[in-house]
Amino acid sequence: MSDLAIKTEGLTKHYGEVKALEDLDLEVKMGEVFGFLGPNGAGKTTTIRTILDLIRPTRGKATIVGLDSHADAVEIRNHIGYLPSDLSMYDNLTGRDMITYFGNLRGGVERSVVDSLADRLQANLSKKIGDYSSGNRQKVGLILAFMNKPQVIIMDEPSAGLDPLVQREFQTMMREVASEGRTVFLSSHTLSEVQRVADRVGIIRNGHLVDVEFVDDLRSKAVRRVELQFSGPVDAATFESIDGVRDVSVASHHAVMSFDGSMGELLAAATDHYTLVDINTQEADLEEIFLDYYRVDEKVDA
Amino acid sequence: MFANVFTKSTRDTVPVGVFGAIAIGVFLFFALWVYQDVDTSFYYDLPAGILDLMGINPEGDGAAGIAFGAVFNLMGAFIAAGLALSWGASAIAGEERDGTFGFLLGNPVSRRGVLVSKTGSLLLTVGIMSLLLFGLAVGAAALLDVNTAGLFVDAITFAVFINSLFYGFLALAIGTWTGKRSVASGAAAGIMIVGYLAASLLPLADLEWLAQIFPWYYFSASAPINNGLNWGHIAVLGGLIVAAFFVAYVGVQRRDLREKGTDKTVLDRLRANPTTQKMMDRVAGSARVSRISTKAFSDHQGLFTITVAIMFYMGVLIPPLYNLIPEDFIDIFATFPDALVAMIGGVDMGTPTGFLTGENFALVGPIAIIVLCASIGARALAGEEEAHTMDLLLANPVSRSHVVLEKTQAMIGYAVLFGLLTFIGTWIGVWLGGLDEVSVSGMASVSLLLALFGLVYGAIALLMSAATGRRGQSIAVTTGIALVTWFMFSFFPLSETFEPIANFSPFHWYLGSDPLLNGMDWPGAGLLAGTFVVLVAASIHLFQRRDILIGKG
Repeated sequence: MSDLAIKTEGLTKHYGEVKALEDLDLEVKMGEVFGFLGPNGAGKTTTIRTILDLIRPTRGKATIVGLDSHADAVEIRNHIGYLPSDLSMYDNLTGRDMITYFGNLRGGVERSVVDSLADRLQANLSKKIGDYSSGNRQKVGLILAFMNKPQVIIMDEPSAGLDPLVQREFQTMMREVASEGRTVFLSSHTLSEVQRVADRVGIIRNGHLVDVEFVDDLRSKAVRRVELQFSGPVDAATFESIDGVRDVSVASHHAVMSFDGSMGELLAAATDHYTLVDINTQEADLEEIFLDYYRVDEKVDA
Repeated sequence: MFANVFTKSTRDTVPVGVFGAIAIGVFLFFALWVYQDVDTSFYYDLPAGILDLMGINPEGDGAAGIAFGAVFNLMGAFIAAGLALSWGASAIAGEERDGTFGFLLGNPVSRRGVLVSKTGSLLLTVGIMSLLLFGLAVGAAALLDVNTAGLFVDAITFAVFINSLFYGFLALAIGTWTGKRSVASGAAAGIMIVGYLAASLLPLADLEWLAQIFPWYYFSASAPINNGLNWGHIAVLGGLIVAAFFVAYVGVQRRDLREKGTDKTVLDRLRANPTTQKMMDRVAGSARVSRISTKAFSDHQGLFTITVAIMFYMGVLIPPLYNLIPEDFIDIFATFPDALVAMIGGVDMGTPTGFLTGENFALVGPIAIIVLCASIGARALAGEEEAHTMDLLLANPVSRSHVVLEKTQAMIGYAVLFGLLTFIGTWIGVWLGGLDEVSVSGMASVSLLLALFGLVYGAIALLMSAATGRRGQSIAVTTGIALVTWFMFSFFPLSETFEPIANFSPFHWYLGSDPLLNGMDWPGAGLLAGTFVVLVAASIHLFQRRDILIGKG
């Protein structure tokens, strides 16, 4: 078996004039949690559905665990678990029926694994799917994706509707899969969840893969967010001239900015002119880094 | 807000109404065309009583009369009323099922306000459909230069309008009280079909007084195409419409709205009950989900029960009824000219086998099994795609061809069961009626051919489903093909020009040899089975090639 969980080469999907996916080259390794990030409509779902042979690429190819996504489609499905976005299941079946059905189609699913997953996610399997709330439906979907202990688990927006406690358990489950040498590939547009669980992230925008980075690297590149509180009103111009300061917003005694320059210079400027009362600085989360990517792109586009 | 709800509802339904009217118009056009080719002088030799029974006016042009009668009194009336009742059922109950009614009521609009808007929209849509139908009917006659003297086209169109409105309002009222769309459309359609059968059959057995309790009687009994409107009958339907609206007006305010969700079935209740739980879990929880075919089989129980119940009931009911037909009628049936016999299914209604074929196997049987099989075929692939479940299903290690074949197995299972129950029902009816002339082998043959016949149309729907991924399109195309092939079988033999083409209709392979009388038609069965296999193979081929859709997109 290949040491690459997923590999795409020049993967392209056009719908008539619409270029949903353009020359996507992506490598996801065994044993990692890979976050696939992008805003709505960027091409995340198209990518996932193409590598699963649900839709066919205009050009290019994809392999999962070294097998060709089209020619070996059925064999691949023995090695994967999949959770689609906007999960729908059979409304007239109970959660338990649903799991039995897919367990029968797969074969070799252990009941103890299902029970332990249901227990960890606090899933009630006796109700009919149509009567579940979206969060409870999502739990059944997660059990379906994890229950056969697959080599690669592919999930499209998996956290939808899950409450914070269950989300945390779900993240633990993903880390466990990676620590067993198996792979998790999840797409998301909310970066905070990926930040906590992923080893690497790929960022997709308008069908193009913009970047692939280790989460740690991404963070170290990151700007900080600085909040300064003064005893009297301040002027934004004081800070805007300093190297590394961006997006200053001032409300009377209070100034907030993004900053990736020398802290000494900033503090000097702040204390030279005004009386500094309080300072608060925090590591930027991926959300801001992400927005940063877009700002850069917009500049390029313009 | 009134205007918004009204406009949205109307916009959703009017295109369908226009399509329905055009479909009826096209059939009228073809019927008129074919009949121009037929020597209709024989009509004038028939006794007035028979002409009356067939809805034909002896003073009018025979061709136009029979074409208008066949299209408007039966098929057109059913299509228009069927559409109206589906709109009525969707108006309130449909919004509840989709979970949009509560959302709608989040705006400053009362429940009754919504009801009134929906009612107005229903009225307008049925009105537009009827007006268009009138225009097309007059246009078709003018285009083909057919003499419509003595025919009341305006009266029959108005009668179709009022009749359709009644079933629309009936479904609306039931939907408003139950909040269940399927119950509303099912009950209203049941009342419509039973009423039609009663209004057509009971007078044959001198039970006209009994026929009067069925609403369809007030549409058909006065034969508006020949006699103009019977205002008394129109008033009865009008009164029923007002009553249905009043019932809906009271009902909409009274109950809790349903949430989007599932209905509790008998099976669910048995599964919830501790004493029956274990056994029911085995049936529902294990057997049903053991493989794709059994799951698909379990998904169509409701439709199967309804369609097979109609067929079984007709099988038991019709043979004894034969004994109630007065002798004179039977004698007159025997003197029917060939052209007329062809129009009623090519059978001699004066014999038990002919009567049984004409009543049960020429129209009711094909409709019932086509509805069943086409619905299974359309849902097989496109249904899963529209419900977003195909992605999840194909994440399992099963190939696309495997999915098609498993779903096909479920369809075959239903067709076989349908044929078997048709056979048993007919056999009981024949035994009750003491019709020794009808042979067991004849009944078995026609039932088996009916099952194969249904599978052909199921496979057409499956092919469309595999090609397009759209359930609505699959059902529409299959319905269209069913109507055209029925038309080929029933009307083309009357014209020398068109006759050879009639042999290409699956209806011909199924009924052309009169299997109830003559026993098994193996070439016909072979053609049906062969067509089915080819269509399924083509479905696999097409389904493997294309992108899987998600949703109705």
